[in-house]
Amino acid sequence: MKTKLLVLAAGLLLSLNAFAISLHDAKSQGLVGEQTNGYLGIVKSSPDASALAKQVNAKRKAHYENIAKKNGISITEVAKMAAEKAMRATKKGLYIQTKSGKWIKK
Amino acid sequence: MIALLALTGCTPTIKIEPPDKPIVINLNVKIEHEIRIKIDKELDELLTNDELF
Repeated sequence: MKTKLLVLAAGLLLSLNAFAISLHDAKSQGLVGEQTNGYLGIVKSSPDASALAKQVNAKRKAHYENIAKKNGISITEVAKMAAEKAMRATKKGLYIQTKSGKWIKK
Repeated sequence: MIALLALTGCTPTIKIEPPDKPIVINLNVKIEHEIRIKIDKELDELLTNDELF
């Protein structure tokens, strides 16, 4: 009984880990990239990438909102400024989005 | 004397009138700029967060 519980717990932990691909890994595997709107975009569709992008973007949005409110400026404006910075900070070989919406390797 | 009169008759007078409306100096540009600098700094901090960027 105890071992069964242990196996179950271990399995649950592992499955959680398997689901959560790190942002860094997803970027270097070319699954996700920086969009022009300040949010993470999906380059190569996969359930992991979608889940990750959704999670990360929700967090980003909360932060953008916070900054926007504090400074009396629109969230879109803040997101756009963040996009410029994020693209500049993107390492060579990772994906960024062009103005026309195409994905290119930096 | 006549010459003098003739001369003074020709000097144009320039009247300087103070504006009747108060002078407005627009500081919006400066404030806007300062906000941008502040946001810039806040975003720089945000970008160091590995979970987000």
